Amino acid sequence: MSHVPTPTQTYDLSFARWVYGHVDGGDRLALCMQCGTCSGSCPLGPQMDFGPRKLFMMIRAGLKDQVLGSNTIWNCVSCYNCVVRCPRQVPVKHILQSLATVAVREGYPGARETDNARFAKAFWWSAAKYGRTDERLVTAKFYFSYGLSKGYRKSMANLAIAKGMVKARRMHLGLPHKCKNAGELKLILARAAEIEARHGDAS
Amino acid sequence: MSERKTGVYLCSGCGIGEAVPMAALEGVARTEYKLEPKTHACLCGDEGVEMIRADIAAGVNQVVVAACSARVMTDRFAFEPVLTLRADLREKVIWSHPAGDEDTAALAEDSLRMALAAAPKVKFPEPWIEGDYSQRIAVLGGGVTGLNAAREAAALGHDVLLIERSDRLGGRARDASLRLPHRPPYDKPEANHIEDLVAAVTAEPRIVVRLGATVTRTGGMPGKFAVTLSDGSVEDVGAIVIATGWRPYDAGKLGHLGYGVPGVVTNVQFEAMLKAGAPKAASGKPVKSVAFVQCAGSRDPEHLPYCSSTCCATSLKQALELLQADPAANCYVLYEELRTPGVAEELYRAAQRAGVIFIKGKVKGVDADLTVHVADALVQQDVPLKGLDMVVLATGMVPNSTDPDAAPVEYGADLLKGDVDPEAAIKVAGFCGEAPAAPERRAQAVPPGGPLLNLQYRQGPHLPVLHDGFADSHYICFPYETRRTGIYTCGPVRRPMDWAEAEEDAQGAVLKAVQAVRAAAAGSALHPRVGDLSFPKIGLNQCTKCRRCTVECPFGAIDEDEKEYPQVNPTRCRRCGTCMGACPVRTISFDNYSVEYLTTQIKAVKIPDEFSGKPRILVIACENDAVPALDQAGIKRNSWSAHVRVLPVRCLGSVSLLCISDALSVGYDGVMLMGCKPGDDYQCHFVKGSAMAAERLSKVGETLKSMMLEPERVVQVDASIADADRLPGVIDGFVEQIMGIGFNPFKGF
Repeated sequence: MSHVPTPTQTYDLSFARWVYGHVDGGDRLALCMQCGTCSGSCPLGPQMDFGPRKLFMMIRAGLKDQVLGSNTIWNCVSCYNCVVRCPRQVPVKHILQSLATVAVREGYPGARETDNARFAKAFWWSAAKYGRTDERLVTAKFYFSYGLSKGYRKSMANLAIAKGMVKARRMHLGLPHKCKNAGELKLILARAAEIEARHGDAS
Repeated sequence: MSERKTGVYLCSGCGIGEAVPMAALEGVARTEYKLEPKTHACLCGDEGVEMIRADIAAGVNQVVVAACSARVMTDRFAFEPVLTLRADLREKVIWSHPAGDEDTAALAEDSLRMALAAAPKVKFPEPWIEGDYSQRIAVLGGGVTGLNAAREAAALGHDVLLIERSDRLGGRARDASLRLPHRPPYDKPEANHIEDLVAAVTAEPRIVVRLGATVTRTGGMPGKFAVTLSDGSVEDVGAIVIATGWRPYDAGKLGHLGYGVPGVVTNVQFEAMLKAGAPKAASGKPVKSVAFVQCAGSRDPEHLPYCSSTCCATSLKQALELLQADPAANCYVLYEELRTPGVAEELYRAAQRAGVIFIKGKVKGVDADLTVHVADALVQQDVPLKGLDMVVLATGMVPNSTDPDAAPVEYGADLLKGDVDPEAAIKVAGFCGEAPAAPERRAQAVPPGGPLLNLQYRQGPHLPVLHDGFADSHYICFPYETRRTGIYTCGPVRRPMDWAEAEEDAQGAVLKAVQAVRAAAAGSALHPRVGDLSFPKIGLNQCTKCRRCTVECPFGAIDEDEKEYPQVNPTRCRRCGTCMGACPVRTISFDNYSVEYLTTQIKAVKIPDEFSGKPRILVIACENDAVPALDQAGIKRNSWSAHVRVLPVRCLGSVSLLCISDALSVGYDGVMLMGCKPGDDYQCHFVKGSAMAAERLSKVGETLKSMMLEPERVVQVDASIADADRLPGVIDGFVEQIMGIGFNPFKGF
């Protein structure tokens, strides 16, 4: 992925143009007419620093740090309300997730500290390693990313749920399940990373 | 006219025969009016119509048809030149009142009485046709609108006189680079082919072009206008189309938006730069970064209060032109509300796609280094926009309803001294129920300059203005009209619009002008009384030179001669009868309409005595909206009090106060004037008629008090064409109010 430009003043369009060209779905972002249907439709709106509508205008205004440091991009739960309702067919969800990836790469603190970022990291670790998500490993990794004592407290708080899941045969106690041919999965993921890097540079 | 022989025809079809006793109706004609009626079960059918035709052949020279509303079956009951009077037994009688009821029967009888009583007072009108009529159409202004108007008029077979103030045709389009899209998919600026249009007009033999000419005076009337040009020549024309276009708002007044700072230009100046090639910044380098400031001096009470509707699309077009030349350029459009009417939305999408940045917010100021400060409403913070090479102020359009080079004329001051001010705000007169507040008078400001046509009319040299220099008209029903018959406006002088709209507008106005010259030559009225051949006749031996008719005529149709007597210009007249309603000595009448015609009908109604417990209420209803709404109410079987008698009139303006005092003196318990909405947002089809009625009515209260009558007995209500469901309630409310006051003490005198 190419270098992400940092604007020097408001409405310096370098960052906006980079987003239009490099972010998944960014090519339609120029058509956003700021109607706010996305923000109004978002079930997570109240938890966000600001809604997608304002985020998109801040991209145009070149407020790069505020955009990539916001929790908006991490709070998307992919419900697709915004994508379905957008009158200009802007793939809001794709853009938010793609911006989250950019935020991770650019090392924005929000990318490490929000709950969603931690969970996404744990989820990806399990999926990439085993080709499957294992509830115990994902939750453990997620909880203990807050540190030992906090992780212990979070685990204990959810013990009753875990017991219930085991009893209902929704969680097993043996070794984690793996997909067949984990080696091939690794190759696939490596290839995907290669394509992603190339995609970013080419556009 | 030889001896009057009136045939009376009753229709018992459509349920009339079942709902009211036909024998009683026949009796009314036979015993009260000594006329032998003929009843038919389907009068509008071939058999019924043939029966009437046979009678006409046998000598009947006036026909009274008592059947459905006068608004339907007009072609079936047209026996020109025999005059047909209509008595409504259907819509406003049996469809809106219970069948078999004695009150419904009384209503039907009174409806017939009104028509029979009025019949001797009217005759088929003889049109005013005198001397030569010009079929030539003058077009003022040689820009896009004027060129299209001239070409259109020529294509319709009329000679055209095209008058252009400057020394070249083409107008502002000559200074424009590309034009706004007008063809699908409407998403890119299109080539400006003004030269082709100029060439086509120049090559048309029917069009005579007079360059460098202005109009110094205009006299006469439709079909007979005499237009004097600045070189002294006098041209005869039948109608005038004003296509003088627009001038940009004076940017000198926009210092608060940085006008005066080098690099701050108007959209008109920027357009010229685009036409000349790549716009250059103050530094001499091509422009890379531009901010367009929308609504610069528009929608602002300090400047132009209205939206010019094309500046947004123009900025989009200019931004697209700039981006086409240099895709890396930065274009910002600073707007409060971006308005892209109609297909211009496609241009907005195209501009977004091309990367134009739209910033919603108020511009707070522009620094000397072209930094624009915006209160950005979308990111919710004040934002400085730095690094701009140019700021374009999107200024609005001011109508060229005056000639900027001509000296202004004192309008109104001494011309109307001592008269009723026809432009005064209208008070809201008596009202049934909640009365709306009187509308505030809006700015009537005319742009600087002298009158375009210098009309030799008693009411002054200007075209009357509604506000901000735009010509007054009933712009919903008659968009191109002005209050000077035969003179039409089109293009941006009528309302702000773009090139494509102006083309269509020119066609519309020319069609009206063609109608005007042809109607004038036939002695016929124009809208809304199209085809009416009557015209006002003034009995000068009774005239007291009070000048109310000359002042109150909404269309300036009546001038004053050397002896100060009123002088009607018949082809200017629209036959509303406002003069008739104004005349204190009732000496103005039409062949088929007069004060006597109305009062006779009022007096023809049988007034029951107070011991019957039945009131009589007179509803004087305007034929344009109120009567159709009542008809519609009947069609929908909405019902209202059967104690009401409806008297249709051409316009409430034609109602003389005598009609009201006559009604009260013969024993009506209340009078309701039902007409179009007056005021600044008027709906009156004759512009000032209902306002004049309200004005007159505001003075009737004192008279009523002197007669020991309650002023609440007379009210005026607004009715629109869509009021079929509302009006029955309004009428019933008034009847209830009158019953509360009690019976008219003049009953039986």
